Amino acid sequence: MPKQDTSGSPYYLGIQNLQEIATREDRVCVLNILGGESRQVTPTSHSFSGGNVVFGTSPGRAGQVLKTSAGDIPVYNNVREGIDAGHAFNVGVVYLPPSAVRDGVAELVRVNDALEKIVIITEKIAVHDAREVRAMAQANGVDVIGGNCLGMADSWNGVRLGGALGGDNPAESLTKGSVAIFSNSGGFTTTIAQYLATEGWGTTTLISSGKDVYIHYAARDFAHAFQADERSKAAVLYVEPGGYYEHGVDFGKPTIACVVGRWKSKLTRAVGHAGAMAGAGDRAEDKERWFMEAFGVKGLFSPENPIVSDRGAVVTNIAHIPAALSAVMKLNNTAPDFEPRGSLALKPWIADDKGLSLPPELAMAPVQAPEPYDGQIQALAQQIGAVIARQNMKDKSGASQMNPKTQVTSVHGHSVLDMAMEPLEAIFALPLVHEIANANDSAMLDVAVAAEVNLVGDPVLAAADAAREAGNAPNAIMAAAASIVGPKRVERALACTRVLIDLFAHSGLEDGRDETFDSSSLRLSAEHGHLFTMTADEADDPRPKAILDAVEARNGKSAFLTFLKGLDIDLNRDALLAAIALTIAWGPLIRKRISRLTAETLPWYLRLYGVLVGASIPGENHRPGSLYNIPRAERFSQWTMADLCFLALTGKKPERDEALPLQILIGLLISNGPGAISAQGAKGAVAADGPQTPSRVQINKAMVGFLSHCGFSHGGNGFEGIAFLLEQFKDSGLSDPTDRDHGLDLKAMARSFATRYKAEKRQAKELGLEVRALPGVHHPVFKGKPVNYDPRERFIADFLERRGDYNAFHAYYRELVEALYEVGASPYVFCVNVDAVIAALLLALLWKDYMAGAMGDHDLENAAFNIFLYGRMIGAAAEIDDHINRGRNMDTRTPADRCGFVV
Amino acid sequence: MQITGMLHGAPLLKHVDFPSTEVLGPGATNDEIQDLLRRYGQVFIKPVFRGGVGKKGKAGLVGRASDLETALAEKERLYFVEHRHGNAVAKAHSVTFEAGVPAEHEVYFSITDDSRFRAPTMTLTHRGGVDIEELDADEIATIPFDALTGLKAFVVANALTDIHAPRELISPLVQHLPKLWELVHNYGMTTLELNPIRMRPGKGARLTPVACDFKGGFDRDDPRVARLGLPDHVFAADVSAFEQEVNQLRTYQGQSDVFVINDRGTILAPTFGGGANSLVTEVLGDTAIISSDFGGNPPYDKMKAVASICYRHFLAQTNVLFIIGGKSNNTDILETFRGMGDALREHFSAHGPTPLYVVVGRGGPNLVRGMGNLAETLDSLGLPYRFFGFDSAISEVVNYAKGIDAWMRAGGRDDIARALGVKQSA
Repeated sequence: MPKQDTSGSPYYLGIQNLQEIATREDRVCVLNILGGESRQVTPTSHSFSGGNVVFGTSPGRAGQVLKTSAGDIPVYNNVREGIDAGHAFNVGVVYLPPSAVRDGVAELVRVNDALEKIVIITEKIAVHDAREVRAMAQANGVDVIGGNCLGMADSWNGVRLGGALGGDNPAESLTKGSVAIFSNSGGFTTTIAQYLATEGWGTTTLISSGKDVYIHYAARDFAHAFQADERSKAAVLYVEPGGYYEHGVDFGKPTIACVVGRWKSKLTRAVGHAGAMAGAGDRAEDKERWFMEAFGVKGLFSPENPIVSDRGAVVTNIAHIPAALSAVMKLNNTAPDFEPRGSLALKPWIADDKGLSLPPELAMAPVQAPEPYDGQIQALAQQIGAVIARQNMKDKSGASQMNPKTQVTSVHGHSVLDMAMEPLEAIFALPLVHEIANANDSAMLDVAVAAEVNLVGDPVLAAADAAREAGNAPNAIMAAAASIVGPKRVERALACTRVLIDLFAHSGLEDGRDETFDSSSLRLSAEHGHLFTMTADEADDPRPKAILDAVEARNGKSAFLTFLKGLDIDLNRDALLAAIALTIAWGPLIRKRISRLTAETLPWYLRLYGVLVGASIPGENHRPGSLYNIPRAERFSQWTMADLCFLALTGKKPERDEALPLQILIGLLISNGPGAISAQGAKGAVAADGPQTPSRVQINKAMVGFLSHCGFSHGGNGFEGIAFLLEQFKDSGLSDPTDRDHGLDLKAMARSFATRYKAEKRQAKELGLEVRALPGVHHPVFKGKPVNYDPRERFIADFLERRGDYNAFHAYYRELVEALYEVGASPYVFCVNVDAVIAALLLALLWKDYMAGAMGDHDLENAAFNIFLYGRMIGAAAEIDDHINRGRNMDTRTPADRCGFVV
Repeated sequence: MQITGMLHGAPLLKHVDFPSTEVLGPGATNDEIQDLLRRYGQVFIKPVFRGGVGKKGKAGLVGRASDLETALAEKERLYFVEHRHGNAVAKAHSVTFEAGVPAEHEVYFSITDDSRFRAPTMTLTHRGGVDIEELDADEIATIPFDALTGLKAFVVANALTDIHAPRELISPLVQHLPKLWELVHNYGMTTLELNPIRMRPGKGARLTPVACDFKGGFDRDDPRVARLGLPDHVFAADVSAFEQEVNQLRTYQGQSDVFVINDRGTILAPTFGGGANSLVTEVLGDTAIISSDFGGNPPYDKMKAVASICYRHFLAQTNVLFIIGGKSNNTDILETFRGMGDALREHFSAHGPTPLYVVVGRGGPNLVRGMGNLAETLDSLGLPYRFFGFDSAISEVVNYAKGIDAWMRAGGRDDIARALGVKQSA
């Protein structure tokens, strides 16, 4: 027999007064109490409400408990067991998955005669089940709240039932006052309460109704209980389109209705559950009208047009609710519950515009967040530089990426083609600081590296020379040198960098070049001061002064150098290297583009760059104060990185833009992505040291890893193209390959070779021999069209053409691919690949010396290899730094089940 | 999820043995159409739309033929016809041939869950075949009934008596209509509308109700729909590839339907909470790309999967990635932000960087940890950002995001592109 109610409504309604909806006397049973969501929410509800959950159910888990700060909640297999164990409850809370909700409701109403209320938190319950839930609850005289809701709370009683209203700290949002809230949105139930406080309004009862097709506790039911509640002087309704739940409801007291969702009627199809059949007269616009009629207002309330009556107002933005309520209550001669708390103005908590210039109204500075959030944000702010999550980095790179379609590799977002167009000094720090250096930073970098190239008197040079004399290839010579530049060789430079970072970290310095920055409040301790000062052994070292002079000569700007110069100490070379490196790294560090670890280790890389270039210059050319007879002061104050590389290759200072082809070549060779053998060598070396303890990774050894993973096939093969061109041009009488009027008939030369090659091919086929591949011609990706191009070759060729530059070798290659097709030696016009351009540029660079006999075949081969190494050391630095920052210990190994055994 | 028309409707009615008119699909041969004409004298040719489209007759989109030539001409006219109703435009992709049922009486019948009664409700009139809005209230019976006992014969009989239906209709309708409740309730339907049901005279002048048009709504949250074995494409209204993909991840743990608002929009706003979704979509207007509600405490993996799909479809055109919600009650901010951040990192890894400004407005458990984690990710990607807590009005934060979008359009996007080293901004 259904229970009788006294509401006078045509259906059962047990709750007569909002005061009854969530009370301190309610006792709760939670179905599926150990489910993921309940496990998070129920302990807070229980503790906040004075321990009102008597037990929960979870089939098969009887005997377990849910721990809460207000004591353990026992768990039973089912409701009957709990009741048999002596627990009594009047509220059932349902956290079951959707398909089990209906059965859970049936269990609650059948097993517990004392049941009064059910709160259904679960969302996406089938309409079929919702229908039956409604019918069961009606037949058994039980009020249902939900489904798809967050339950209800009462700020006066200090109780919340069911869901998570008020989040993990309900007291923060549930402030005692005079306003009842009924909301279709669970999230907004709390948000509205919080907004109301900004006008001084607190709350009585808050109900999250859900917005399924069946709203079991609906606006009409709320209005009935609201009218009977003496505590509630006003109500706020948050309503969305769909359903007639609010139609013709009399609230009896001042009410603010917030109707949101006009956009839904603009959609081309139905949205969600409610109002699934379009055009049913329950759109947002319709609901606005219902409320306007009920309140006797002629329009919507907005701050600009505050339309209210003493019965209420209609808003379409929840931010307008507090002001609308105050205006309505003013007409009712009712003052807010308390002094306004906080405001709804925009308050950024955390921001970083990454150095971009935004208009002032958008570039709002962060403000202090309320506690406890501000304390947490302050703790975050202590962090300097980026924090990068570690992962397995086998065959992966966060630095380089080769586009499989174009075969063009990018390093930190800059393609090698673009890098080839930049001066070398602008890009060789890019792998580490992720940005192309500007003129100031380029100049500083030039000084830093120039200061490391002359190795006279250094065991590094002895090691390199010994390796050279032993007949090693250029990579092994460089590896011998790099091996010497171990951790102790950079210990002081890295320590200086660390000290400077600590000192300037929270000083407000944003730009490392800002020499006007006031560092007067920064103090270097005596202990740290020693780090920066020349030792007695170094007293004769002329380089520190030369570095400072060169920086001045180049008009270099550095906040750190300015600071150090102001210390009145004799700065040592490591201190200057640290200051220069940090000048370049500071911006990216503060903008969190790079990690502190990267900034701290940058001096090591710069020193290695200098040493590797220096090691490629035979020992006899390193002299005190000069290199290849070029005086120190000139190199420090005028030379670029590309000039130094040119010097290393040719023993000469480049004239005008003679170094340009070299710059292009080095740029092109920087990286071929993490799959390249050289990159794998570098990454393996890092993985083996264990990047999870980054201080133990030997960056010089990682460079050795890259160098040992180069060789005659990988790096040294650049000579193959040169050898092929030499074969064609050696006896041609060509004097200047960059002169268009060279007098050679390249077309005829190409056709003659193509004819010979075709015959050679035919013969090889007959004999069953392998046909020799032509270096610089054809590519496994850029093939199959009638005429094929390697986009990298095109890019360089276009650039040179635009400059008006000419290269006879390159022109020959273009003739050759045509001729091969014309004589039938190729099925279509092969592409001239990027290796051909490299060979053509390099040979043109060295042609005169070669023809004059100053260079032999072996020298050309070494030069080709060295150029590859100069480029790739920059790319390797990118992989090493990336792997140290991102990788895990030994992550490059291959699991045994993916290895093969062959006999 | 809706179905209209007899092509799919007739087989559904067969599940509960409710008579329906004979219907041929678009593949019907001339012989079959001719046979239908011979037996019934008249056929109706109706375009087939994906999803639901009503009032085809009013729009002149129903053809009528009594000879093969006319039938084929109507097929040609209607096969790819467009139907416009307000903003909704639907394009037909097929036609059906439905046997004409000569009858004196046309009945309107529907079952739906009516929010006024909070119960399943039958609407019935013997003056069907027209829009029932055009009829007087006393000609229509609207009767809620008990979901547990279902639509019983007496409910139908009482209703027919109330509206003074002709007596010859009562017995056949009382016999047949209750079957339709079985279809609605046991196969996950939310709405069933048959209009008209034509009363075909048979032996001894006894009338048989024959359904001549069908409109049904189905509950996507009800697994019972699967019992009907309907192919997915039946429900694939004009759903974009994105919607199709992202809505597959819809479960009861977070995420409601996601809709494309403007596929040329520039603000991608993963929104948390139904209320926030409504507010944000409304205030963003045409700048919004999607309307979404990812709340409900989605776990990390799901959040990341959903974000990945959003990024893959829309990040290239996006100026502002706008993560917005109120003060969440139980959605873990760290987990959701970590999911979205990691998906962004992976997207940049796979597709390269794209100019983006990130605006966040959020509150809830683990808020600052979540913000910190996201900030780290954005720092490493070189993206600018501004995070607001829950103490800023959500609508103001939405307006801020619009301000950033305007700045991006006015050159900010190019500035960020330059900083990221991206050559072409999309």
